[in-house]
This record gives sequence, C-alpha cells and structure tokens, in this order.
Amino acid sequence: MAHVTGVQYEPVAEIGGGAYGTVYKARDLESGQFVALKSVRVQTDQNGLPVSTVREVALLKRLEQFDHPNVVRLMDVCATQRSDQETKVTLVFEHVDQDLKTYLEKAPAPGLSPGRIQDLMRQLLCGVSFLHSNRVLHRDLKPENILVTSQGQVKLADFGLARIYSCHMALTPVVVTLWYRPPEVLLQSSYATPVDIWSTGCIFAEMFRRKPLFCGESEVDQLGKLFEVIGLPPEDEWPTDVTLSRKHFPPLLPRPITDFVPEINEQGAQLLLKMLTFDPLKRISALNALEHPYFQDEETLT
Amino acid sequence: MAKTGFCDSKPLLDLHKKADERRAPLRTWSNACGPIERWQPVEVDESRMAPVKMEPEHRWERRLSAQTSEGILMGFHEDSFTHSAADGCVEEEEEPVLLYPHGLQGLPSLQALVPSLLRHEVETALEKLDLIWDRAYAWDMFLDMARTQTRNSFPTADLPRHFTDLTRSVLVDWLIQVHELMHFQEETLYLAIHLVNRSLRAIKITTVNLQLLGMVCLFLAAKMEECLLPEVSGLCFLMDHTYTKHQLLRMERKVLLGLKFDLSYCPPLHFLLLLASVARCSAKAVWMARYLLELSLLEGQCVLFLPVQLAGAALCVSRQVLQEPSTPGGEAAWCLASSVHVGSETALLRIMHILANAAAKAHTRETCASFIKFSSPETMQVSRHAGLKNAPGLLGVCT
Ligand SMILES: Nc1ncnc2c1ncn2[C@@H]1O[C@H](COP(=O)(O)OP(=O)(O)OP(=O)(O)O)[C@@H](O)[C@H]1O
Ligand SMILES: [Mg+2]
Repeated sequence: MAHVTGVQYEPVAEIGGGAYGTVYKARDLESGQFVALKSVRVQTDQNGLPVSTVREVALLKRLEQFDHPNVVRLMDVCATQRSDQETKVTLVFEHVDQDLKTYLEKAPAPGLSPGRIQDLMRQLLCGVSFLHSNRVLHRDLKPENILVTSQGQVKLADFGLARIYSCHMALTPVVVTLWYRPPEVLLQSSYATPVDIWSTGCIFAEMFRRKPLFCGESEVDQLGKLFEVIGLPPEDEWPTDVTLSRKHFPPLLPRPITDFVPEINEQGAQLLLKMLTFDPLKRISALNALEHPYFQDEETLT
Repeated sequence: MAKTGFCDSKPLLDLHKKADERRAPLRTWSNACGPIERWQPVEVDESRMAPVKMEPEHRWERRLSAQTSEGILMGFHEDSFTHSAADGCVEEEEEPVLLYPHGLQGLPSLQALVPSLLRHEVETALEKLDLIWDRAYAWDMFLDMARTQTRNSFPTADLPRHFTDLTRSVLVDWLIQVHELMHFQEETLYLAIHLVNRSLRAIKITTVNLQLLGMVCLFLAAKMEECLLPEVSGLCFLMDHTYTKHQLLRMERKVLLGLKFDLSYCPPLHFLLLLASVARCSAKAVWMARYLLELSLLEGQCVLFLPVQLAGAALCVSRQVLQEPSTPGGEAAWCLASSVHVGSETALLRIMHILANAAAKAHTRETCASFIKFSSPETMQVSRHAGLKNAPGLLGVCT
C-alpha cells in the first residue's frame, strides 16, 4: 500500500475515460503481469475522496475474501501526495482484455452464437446473484461495466455506484445509466435488488441485437420506449408514491419480444420477459433466473 | 458529489444548552418498528426442512459460511438445514437459565421445529424491515450479517496509553450530537463509532487530533451510508475552525490507509431490529433497547462483544425493566429470538450489567446526548423511564 505509483506500475495504454479519470493498462514491474489502473485526483478544495471511490474500494474489499470468479479483482490501492494541493488515489485491478461492449462490437457477423450468449448470461447472473446474497446492489450494470476475458469469463466491474443494503437505507434517487435504468428508478419510486435484474435483462437483449434495447433521450422518453415493448402496466401496478401519472402515457399493449430480439429462442424470450417485468416485486431474482429452463439445455458454444 | 445546504443554514452546535431546551431529535423510525403483530402460530413450510441441494454457483458463499458462522449462531449455519428437523435442533452450549424462563415446557414440539421455524421467522422479519425484496436471499443475507459481525469486535478494550475511556466517551457523546444535527441515518452513527474504535488502534493519533479523527470517521461513515453529504467547510465550522479543511482531508487519507479502506460493518442496530421483530417486542421495548444500545457506544468495554450480543443484551434489559405482561406466545417468540443471540451466557450478563449501570447513571453524566435524544415524545421518552434507575438492582435479583 501507498507505494509511489509511477515506480511499480508502468503505463502501457489508455483504456477508457470515466467520470473521475482515465483507466490505464499498465505493467506491474514486480510480477510482470498487466494491471488496470483507475486513478482519482483529489484536490484539497474538494470534499475529500469521492463517495464513488470510497464505496468502490470498501465494497470490493468486503467481497474479495470470497474470491468469486465473476467479480473483478482489486489488487491494491495506492495514495500518493502529488503536491500540497493534490493527492492521487489509484485503484489497481487485474487487467481484463475487454469490456462487454467491445466484446459485442468485435464479434464477427452475425454476432454471438446462442451458446456463447447462454454462457455469458449464466456467468453474469451468477455474479449478480453473488452480490445480492451478500447485500450488495450494483446499480450500474451495463456492457461498459462488465468485463470479459479472452477465455470468455465474465467479471463485474465499476462498483462506483454500488452500496450495501440496510434497513433505513438512504437511496440515491438517480442510479443506473439511462438506457439500463428500470421503471421504478425512472419513476423515482423506491428500489432494491430488482434494479440490477432489469439492467441484466436489457443486456441480455443487447447480446442478441448488438445494440441497446431501449435508447431513450430523457427519463420520460425512456419510459415511453420501454412501454412500447412491454406494454403500459395495469393501474394497480403503478407505484403510488410517484408524481408521474400513468395517464401521461398512451395505453400500449405488450408486443412480442421477438419483434425486438428475433434471434432469441422461446425459453430465452420467456426469461427475458421475466427480467423486464414492470413490477419489481414480480421481476425474477438472479437466483431463480439461474434455475430457468433457458439454462437447462446446454447450447453449443461455437 | 451531492451538496446540501449545511453551510448556509448551519445551526450552532451548542453543547451547553440545558437538556430540555435542545431540539427533539430526528425523524421517526416508524417504518422500522411498525405495528407489532400479535403472536400467530407460524405455519412451518415443510419444504424448508428438505435437504438443500448443493449448487456449484453457491459454493463460494457456502464455503465461508460453513467456516465462520459456526458458534455464533449456535449451529444455525446453512448446513443445519441439510439435516432432518430432528437432529438439526439447537445445540445448547450452556444452560440458558435466564433466557428460557417458562416458554418451552408448554410447547414441547417447539424445540424440534426451531431451525426451520427460526429461518422462517428471520425471513419474515427481514421482509418487514424492508431489508429484502426477495425472500430467496433472506437467509443468505442473514448469514452474511452474522459473518460480517464476527470481524467487528476487538480482542481487548485497551486504548493507546494517552487515551482514557472517559476521553473516548466525551468524543462519542459529541459525535452523537453532530450526527443528530446532520439528520443522518442511525447506521451512520454506529459505523462512525466503529471506525473511531478501529482508528484509535490502527493509527497514531495525538490527543489534539482526537476530535478531528472523530469528525473524519463520521464523514467517512456518511460517505458509505448517506446520499446527501455535508461540505467539508461545514464540518470545520462545527469544530470551531480548530482544524483546517486541509487537515481534515489529510486525516481522511490517513484513516482510509490505516484501515486499508475496509469500511464494512454490520451494526448491532440491525440485529436489534431483527430480534425485536422475531420476538414481537412492543414498540416501547424496542425504543428502550435502542436507547440502551446507543449507550453501549459510550462504554469502552462494549467493543469486546459481538453486535448480535449487544443487541440481545439491550433487548433483555429493556424487557426486564418494562416487565410487560407476558403471554405464552410472546414467551415462545422470545425464546426463538434468543436462540439467535445466545452465545455465551456470561458475556450476555456482563453486557446487561454494563448497560443497566450506564442507563441508571445516564442523566447525571456529562455525556448525556443519548439520554436527551431518547427523552423526546417521538422516542416514547424511554430514557426517563423510572425503572431504569433501578435496572442494575433488577438484574441482581434475576441472576
Ligand atoms: N480491470 C479492468 N481491465 C480492463 N479494462 C477495464 C478494467 N476496469 C475498467 N476497465 C475499462 O475502463 C472503463 C472505465 O472503468 P470503470 O467503469 O471502472 O470507471 P468509470 O466508468 O469511470 O467509473 P465511475 O462510474 O466510478 O466513474 C470500463 O468501461 C472498461 O472498459
Ligand atoms: Mg463505468
């Protein structure tokens, strides 16, 4: 801990830019392995280390003892004083070859095989189920935050919005990137583990489509887009604690999901609909999704 | 980062105001201790007794729970559920004289049902507390709480030489007031004090910087738990500008590195609410237990105990003091709840004595923030309950 970052890790390439800084691929000079460095600069005129970093590190530290195959490994945290006015905190992760977004983009036409998708989904749900049974909500699942090794192993990453469940949990009203955001969050109602399932459902559809399922431009537009697919929910499912009225939306009927995801098989379509269920209480859990008949018949991976 | 108006409208933290002049505290926690249902015979779901299939996906959770929840839950780790109901019942390590007064004789079959009954009750309680949305995870979450807490107690109550228990309790009392002023969640307070306890042992802190350390721990706890954060300048203001922003942020870094960024904690409060729900305690009993539990933060000795033990002891004292009329159903529910927290009878009694003594003297102490907080009508004025003054005597009779 607290080594001088520049010395132990030699940057190789820039991987991605995030809200708080850039992620670099680097070589660990001690072990020769590649690592991913995510650093945050903290100015003394700010509010200290950003909440997202504090939570990301604390949650990954908490989970690391389980050594779960579908969660990215945090190897180290370094803090270096850059000047009197600035401290740099660097999170050192195991390096994973690409994120799911790139993985989907790179897949040669006509896209991923049904077997590959089934395998990715099983791992994804396995990771989500692991988080949920350890009282962790991810709250920002999307292809950019899911890493895939060159052997096809899925690893959940970017715990910057994650948090531990508690009784009188103070919930941040805006979580999850718009396109993957579930209706209860769009409506600013209360939410819990089902948020991650909605996002996982959107990702499931995207694996077939190779483009996002719902691309709204605003929160209301996003709701409209998802009602075009799942239909306007009945009055009694509309949350009571929200300001936006159901009357605001046209009375749409659900359309066959295969209109939007034509390549999906029947079992897969059933599972997808269970994940994209409007009422979070009726939405399937990760644990139950793993038991779904979709996963019963092993599809060939190629 | 979220901003609040703390800096514009900062009310002064006046530590010298008389007890009754101070604002009544916080919002109500009504959602957490809603209407207490009367005891209903619980239907036992047969399927829960059936052996649990081992799935490869679950092996990570399982491996750990088998290692560490042993003993804490008296054999209530997952593996007990793979036994049949008959051999999966509670293993009593010590004769729990105090906790099984007369409930079990009337209900001979209860003992055999305990594992599945308890699991059912814990799941229902977690659901009522809004802790879970999906029952499928309830038991896993409970085991996770049980596991996490085992890392939350300390081997000794010793502090570095230049700090006394009194200095520490003055700091905690001040933090209780700042916490109340900020309208933070209750969890944030428990986490903050836990971080103070760990920091005092993990990093070198001078007496001069003790208040700064306390504030930084509260700030970090808020970063973990709250969605609205105060500005650093507001925090400096609350410390009379004794420290600069710069010093505060440096201390934040020092604490994070000293604690290796490990900020996970399972507050005793969660166990208290869970036990109270399983035991169908009255609202008053729960408020009093919450008060006693908060007093435990001021007691240096309490760091020796597990959160679940502290919660169990707080409820025991509260029940003894209130002496609410008992019903056979209520006793049975209490026995069931006790099976969660009974670890060592000696430890339980020790905590009960510490809490009873603290409550008896609370109103005379300088550090009386909790006494004041829990004297408000919203908290059913539990801290002023006459019975608390003789609480130590009450325990004396029972043991
Ligand atoms: N361990 C890793 N190995 C390879 N690439 C990674 C790794 N971690 C992150 N990346 C890449 O960097 C991108 C940004 O990382 P990440 O999502 O963790 O940060 P962020 O989006 O800035 O997070 P935040 O939401 O906290 O601002 C990812 O989308 C991914 O492409
Ligand atoms: Mg990201």
